Amino acid sequence: MNLPATARSPLITLVGPPNSGKTTLFNYLSGNNFKTVNYPGATVEYSLGKFQSKFSLKAILLDSPGIVSLIPNSPDEVVAVKSLYSHPELGPPDLIIVTVDASQLSRHLLLVSQLKKSNFRIVIALTMVDILQRKKLAIDTIKLGELFSCDVVKIDGRSGKGVDNLISKVENIFSSMNHKSTESTRANFCNDTNDLIDTFNKIEKIEAEVLINLVDPSQLPNISKANKQLRILIDPKSKIECNKIDARTLKIDRILLHRIWGLVTFFAVMTLTFTSIFWLAEPLISVVDSLFSLLSSESLKLFGYGWFGDLVANGIISGTGSILVFVPQIIILFLILGLLEDTGYLARGAMLIDKPLSKIGLNGKSFVPMLSGFACAIPAILATRTIPNRRERLLTIFIIPLMSCSARLPVYALLLAFILPSDKSWLGGFLLASIYIFSIVASAIIAGIINKLRNKLIKEEDNSSFILELPAYRIPKFKVVIHNTITSTTSYLRKAGPVILTLSLFLWMLTSFPNINPSIDKTGLTKDEILNLTKAERLSTSYAADLGKIIQPIMTPIGMDWRVGVSLIAAFAAREVFVSSLALIFKVTSDETTLQNSIVSAMRNATVEDTEQKLFTASTIIGLIIYFIFAMQCLSTIAVSRKESGGWRIPILQILIFTAAAYVFTFISVNGLRALGWD
Amino acid sequence: MKSASQLKLGEKVVIKNIDSSHPSSRRLLEIGFTPGQEIELINSSVFNDPMAFSIRGTLIALRRNEAGCIKVE
Ligand SMILES: Nc1nc2c(ncn2[C@@H]2O[C@H](COP(=O)(O)OP(=O)(O)O)[C@@H](O)[C@H]2O)c(=O)[nH]1
Ligand SMILES: [Mg+2]
Repeated sequence: MNLPATARSPLITLVGPPNSGKTTLFNYLSGNNFKTVNYPGATVEYSLGKFQSKFSLKAILLDSPGIVSLIPNSPDEVVAVKSLYSHPELGPPDLIIVTVDASQLSRHLLLVSQLKKSNFRIVIALTMVDILQRKKLAIDTIKLGELFSCDVVKIDGRSGKGVDNLISKVENIFSSMNHKSTESTRANFCNDTNDLIDTFNKIEKIEAEVLINLVDPSQLPNISKANKQLRILIDPKSKIECNKIDARTLKIDRILLHRIWGLVTFFAVMTLTFTSIFWLAEPLISVVDSLFSLLSSESLKLFGYGWFGDLVANGIISGTGSILVFVPQIIILFLILGLLEDTGYLARGAMLIDKPLSKIGLNGKSFVPMLSGFACAIPAILATRTIPNRRERLLTIFIIPLMSCSARLPVYALLLAFILPSDKSWLGGFLLASIYIFSIVASAIIAGIINKLRNKLIKEEDNSSFILELPAYRIPKFKVVIHNTITSTTSYLRKAGPVILTLSLFLWMLTSFPNINPSIDKTGLTKDEILNLTKAERLSTSYAADLGKIIQPIMTPIGMDWRVGVSLIAAFAAREVFVSSLALIFKVTSDETTLQNSIVSAMRNATVEDTEQKLFTASTIIGLIIYFIFAMQCLSTIAVSRKESGGWRIPILQILIFTAAAYVFTFISVNGLRALGWD
Repeated sequence: MKSASQLKLGEKVVIKNIDSSHPSSRRLLEIGFTPGQEIELINSSVFNDPMAFSIRGTLIALRRNEAGCIKVE
């Protein structure tokens, strides 16, 4: 095989309209099960891969966000079009594989003809041939190739059918390629509307030439079997057939997009999503929870009750355990989101919610990013690239940190466990759902206010539009959904894990040093009393205590003390650190059956320093929940928000507005509840 | 002239032209709303906005305002 003599392996870029099968093909070729989702524009960042070794083709493969034409309309399309001319790091691609949905030939050929006009070297990969076949139609690939003077290959990226053919075509092109031929002639593409209409007219002629009717020729009288190509021209039925929408999809949409039933199902789906996060995860959580408390207490027995045992049991095991406990909930959230995406429902959701969202300055296309915000704000902010209008995009980025991300789950779960009587734990799902609804309503109000102040805060004006393809419904591929869930969850853990562990250790040091072995008067005390006294003495003379004294004045008005304050500061790194931090600061020992129970019972016993007054009461717990609903606490979110909004304006506004709102609302609710005698 | 935003559910019409002064006109053409194509109003959500049309074998949701620039026969 003859590869072009460049410094790097040749670069092949996959382009095509949204949902044309790029990512599926990319996954098959690279062996990297990356992500396939049924939402137009779901690939917001490009993914890079190498060809699997079994294809013996040395080339870099690039998957890009879907584009309809070479003139981009939204930030994700800008990224894709730019990478066609020249990838920022890898330079111009050597070859472009265009995926074309055979069942939507005339729409998808626009991009092909534009690419051809601007002299790109392309291979057409025809996907969804099976769908076309169900409509009793086929495509004459040789003819299509002649008309566009390029190679055309039928493939199915799901099964790998036709991929060998594609590879050999690519190899042929590489071996016959004289390297610098096309770059110089490649003109930036520009077209006006008349040009577009013209192009479509040509495409329709091409379509008529390449579509073959598969209906048994004997059923069509007066046509000779040899005259295959002609048949289509005299048979207008095939065109009608080709433009028919999937009947099953139409039937389902009659309910799911119905004026009334559509809304009802939309709210039902959303409610089910959020309640199942709690219900389904519950049994799994208690399993993980008991496991970690067992580990913790066993390691204390194993390493003794000195500083080392304390480090292992309280610094490492409780710290990570209090986070891992919530992995089941995170998995379930990702799983449901994946299923909704893959069936094709999310695009409908976006359509149903466009009108209400536009009232508060957002867009139907804000829906999917906002929904992903319930898993994690970082991918959610990246997903806003599919919003064409810059104002709406900035406002969506602004509001996303208010969506209740999965990092808040551990915090809410702990706080709810505190206020719930143990015989009424079923209330948990209900209360959690209320927290979600409250945070959604609150963020809608905040978005509305920001939108009213539009010219002061977000100074962008631009054409607001909502044009979205509604993909055909299909049965989700459980294998893919589960794989994606695992990938998302592990990448979440990989990202959050080290931060949490490091912070847990750092906090352990802050709360244990400098007085790791305090001298106490042991006379007449039992072993347990000595242990507890040591811990208390160690903490009250620790660095954390010093730090806490500084922030005490801010914490007193909201009914909390410096220990909660230290945990809130730690939560700036990542919200879920709050839980492990509380566990450490209150020196939770695992004498209860589960970790959560032991944190809760430690919290119940905690008193405001030097008094008998209980530190955690219904009012302070509700105050904390309110604080977590609003506060901007996650450093990585701030970084992504700066990068994606293109400046410090949005992240600084987020920090100021959200944190101030959190403090004020917490103050109001704690003191209000106390005034009402609800303590 | 009648526009696509005035269609009733299930009404099928042929596109006459796209009002090129509308900022979304190019995108509408690019996704296939070209003169001569048949469209049908398949669904519309609660406030009649957005509306879902069938065009060239796919469903596409548009805001009412955008459908307004699609002039039909
Ligand atoms: N029936 C059928 N479905 C396909 C084919 N290729 C891809 N798909 C499905 O089409 C959907 C969209 O594919 P995807 O690769 O995400 O499209 P992208 O938006 O271009 O990246 C996925 O659910 C695929 O499983 C094919 O040849 N036939
Ligand atoms: Mg993709």
